[in-house]
Amino acid sequence: MEIPYTVKPRPDTGLYNGKLGIWLFLASEVMLFGALFSSYVLLRVGAEPGTWSMGLMNITVGAGNTMVLIASSMFVVLAWAELKQGNLAGYKKWKWATIACAVLFLVVKWSYEWPEKFKHYDIWLNDTKVLHGKFEKGYHATASREGKSAEEHVNGFYTKRFFKEESKLSNDNFDKAWTNGTLALQGHINAYEEAQINVEVTGWKADAGVSEADAEKVLAKLNAAGSATALLKDGGTVKEKVGYDEAKRAEYALGQAGFEVALRVEDYEKVPAHPWVWRTKRVNEDIGGKPRVRSIFLGLDHSDDGEGHHEEIEIETRHISRLSAFEPKHSTFFGIYYTITGLHAAHVFGGIIVMLYNMLPIGLALWHKDREQFTNRIETFGLFWHFVDLVWIFLFPILYIL
Amino acid sequence: MSDKAEATGTQEAVEVHHDEHEEHHAQSFWRTYVFSTDHKVIGMQYGFCGLAFLFFGFCLIATMRWSMAYEGEAVPFVGPLLEALLGNGVAPGGVMSAELYNVFGAMHGTIMVFMGIVPAAFAAFGNYVVPLQIGAVDMAFPRVNMASFWAFFFGCVIMMVSFFIPGGAAQAGWTSYSPLASVIPTDGQTYWLIGMVMLITSSLLGAVNFLATIINMRAPGMTWLRLPFFVWAQFITAFLLLLAFPPLEAAGILQLMDRVLETSFFLPTGLVVGGQDVDVSGGGSPLLWQHLFWFLAHPEVYVLILPGMGIVAEIIANNTRKPIWGYKFLVGSIVVLGFLAFIVWAHHMYMTGMGTVISAFFQTTTLIISIPSVIILTCLFISLWGGSIRFNTPMLFALAFLPMFGIGGLTGLPLGFNFSDVALHDSYYVIAHFHYVVAPGTIFAIFAGVYYWYPKMTGRKMSEYWGKVHFWSSLIFMNLIFMPMFAQGMAGMSRRMSDGGATYSLANPDNADVTVGALSDTIMGLNVSISAAAWAMLVAQLPFIVNLFWSVKHGEKVESDNPWQATTLEWETPTPPPHGNFNKEIKVYRDPYEYSVPGADNDFSPQAQPAK
Repeated sequence: MEIPYTVKPRPDTGLYNGKLGIWLFLASEVMLFGALFSSYVLLRVGAEPGTWSMGLMNITVGAGNTMVLIASSMFVVLAWAELKQGNLAGYKKWKWATIACAVLFLVVKWSYEWPEKFKHYDIWLNDTKVLHGKFEKGYHATASREGKSAEEHVNGFYTKRFFKEESKLSNDNFDKAWTNGTLALQGHINAYEEAQINVEVTGWKADAGVSEADAEKVLAKLNAAGSATALLKDGGTVKEKVGYDEAKRAEYALGQAGFEVALRVEDYEKVPAHPWVWRTKRVNEDIGGKPRVRSIFLGLDHSDDGEGHHEEIEIETRHISRLSAFEPKHSTFFGIYYTITGLHAAHVFGGIIVMLYNMLPIGLALWHKDREQFTNRIETFGLFWHFVDLVWIFLFPILYIL
Repeated sequence: MSDKAEATGTQEAVEVHHDEHEEHHAQSFWRTYVFSTDHKVIGMQYGFCGLAFLFFGFCLIATMRWSMAYEGEAVPFVGPLLEALLGNGVAPGGVMSAELYNVFGAMHGTIMVFMGIVPAAFAAFGNYVVPLQIGAVDMAFPRVNMASFWAFFFGCVIMMVSFFIPGGAAQAGWTSYSPLASVIPTDGQTYWLIGMVMLITSSLLGAVNFLATIINMRAPGMTWLRLPFFVWAQFITAFLLLLAFPPLEAAGILQLMDRVLETSFFLPTGLVVGGQDVDVSGGGSPLLWQHLFWFLAHPEVYVLILPGMGIVAEIIANNTRKPIWGYKFLVGSIVVLGFLAFIVWAHHMYMTGMGTVISAFFQTTTLIISIPSVIILTCLFISLWGGSIRFNTPMLFALAFLPMFGIGGLTGLPLGFNFSDVALHDSYYVIAHFHYVVAPGTIFAIFAGVYYWYPKMTGRKMSEYWGKVHFWSSLIFMNLIFMPMFAQGMAGMSRRMSDGGATYSLANPDNADVTVGALSDTIMGLNVSISAAAWAMLVAQLPFIVNLFWSVKHGEKVESDNPWQATTLEWETPTPPPHGNFNKEIKVYRDPYEYSVPGADNDFSPQAQPAK
């Protein structure tokens, strides 16, 4: 059984099967990315003023990546052209160049563009007055919360500064900028004040089905601060000044052993925050009515003394209405940004796999068996690769510039 | 026109045939029957899975019907099974909880549409019959074809596994509307989305393959207007899948982001669930989901019905012994239908407050799309006129398709007008309407197709007697199930209520006397009769199931490769067709349905038979 038109085009359609198949596949891809672009438009048009978080992308890096992809699109054609002339060595040269571009593109994404965003936080406050007089060096208004033009953005960036001196003018400007959405608090979370918790037991239920000996064993396992007999009888502090996770584990174990447990915040300790480990969830947790995290220390992005030194300010969590890194859940803009660029990156990654396959002996075997079929295979891949490139050419302006 | 006569026609052909036969046998069991790239094996894999899921989906609804008729009572037979398998949280003492009702409701829809009818009507018959009917040796991309089946299979596995996870399977309906679907506290919703992405991927691979095959693999002489109507139907269906499914894939990815990474594509600002603010950024649009969903799901309706129409057209032409009336009208209509299917989707959304201008547009396109549908149905009806009709089992099912689909189509008109849809939206009227289209419509067509092509697949016919028992009982019970639902819907009964509307009826604030429901006893009483009909329907499928398996070994042997004396190319193959299909050169000389041609030797002139 021989399937026809795998190599030579069918005369009346002018296409060999692979080329026809890839065009049909690309048609469906157009619908896939088209739906995502349409979603982008609908979400952006429906966004409330000041909630479309554009203007934070590094345009230079994005533009560089665009050039890299365009170059790769050219290399993929050159590789095919070499094959058409029967030159396998030339094919390999250009194919490696294509692969190198694709890898470079992904490396920029993985090592710089996405991680940077996951390490920076955006903070919404209940009331701006808590920040009056907080700044040591100065703070720039940015246009990041509003889809303003690049020029206005720059103006805002360089003209408005708010200083520590608590003048009425400075404070008024600050509040105004906050209200109209041109001011945003953004930066690294350098450290936070986390609760130091005392785990206390207030009683022990003999009828809970746990024997005294077993309850004592649990206390021993937890390295209880007081004597086990006294704790069983009168209650008292089991653990002093422990972190949240340890306190929660102790609470669970003690509860299982029949104790009535209370967690009490004894003190707060300043903990350096690892930019990758910090997550916003902790801000919403509280222990016995007190916040788990009392305040955060924010290294401000847009503050400097003109020499690039960032400033750190302390903000109490009770003043924070929302806190989020520039991750997908930050806003619908970042949601769609990660979705589309992620899906695009998956296509680039898939492309790299296919290209590598066509460079290995297993893929090259076809060249030695049927040169024309192998050349066709590279051509169809090229069509796919141009499409991936084209998607990025649409992505770059709508996510970085417009 | 027996196999022997053909095969001995040229010595060369016989040898080719034998070589392939050996090659075929040299492959291992796994490569032949499980990981096969042969379109016929893949077609039967799809068919078997599709029929099994149709039955399973039917069992789900049969269980739900108990809850609607006898709410709060333990389900007989399956109640203990539910409790044992799913835990007594969802089925305490064998009683179906409202959550379980929601699970079954959502999964009934999903299974029937995406795991039952699409694989059975489109993928199974398409895979088995289309390459044969166009005279091709296989699909254009056999390995992609296999990948398509396995993507489907794993999608199904994910869907099935989700029944048994804590919290159970998806509960937000097959439409999976956000914000409900995004905040529902079961991972079943997430499984559903991942399963759907797999099923969509499968359909996309299948659609590319079907289109490439039909465009590039037609035998010499098989011009576009010589294609059997079934191939045209599959061709348009594949286009619908190719272009309509990706937006749902995009929507599925976005909803997956909402559930897993806490984005808010479909969650509006200020969303409150269970009295608590949801901690998301907001700014999303629930309407966006509905637009993306229905952009697929309306064309999906045509994906469900077009292959059925194709099957019915084949069988009607064959059993009336005359050409299909208006073949070119059929082809034109189905092309127009395929195009219009993309611009009617928002008629599912009249009640969302999207605005009168948009409603007016979609109302207009919706009514326009009924024109090609009516043309197709009319052509098929007129084809019966003057035919010498053979009332065999496939023909009975095909004949029943016509009025049943007609009822389904005509009752859709009040739903297409937005003024009347306001009253009927989300009521049992809607359920009755679309079930008339897909249940006695498409599913009857699937049955017709199974009875019709069974002899080609196995070399034996299914039992006519039990086929007729199956047909008449199915026809009667089908109507006893769905006809009363029109009345229930028009009386105001909403869908998706686990007690069949009892609480709703009594909770009506306009009704001072709470002992008398807003829905009359007659309407409520129909719940019991419909349920009884549904269970009888379940029993009525047993003859089919037994017949299907029993006839493989014991059915009446067919004496030729063309037992129905049909004209299309699939009957030119040996029975069952070997890997590679044909054992002779195939060339097409004729239109697809040249029955009773004046002056011809027989009352059928096969497409591969040269003109005299």
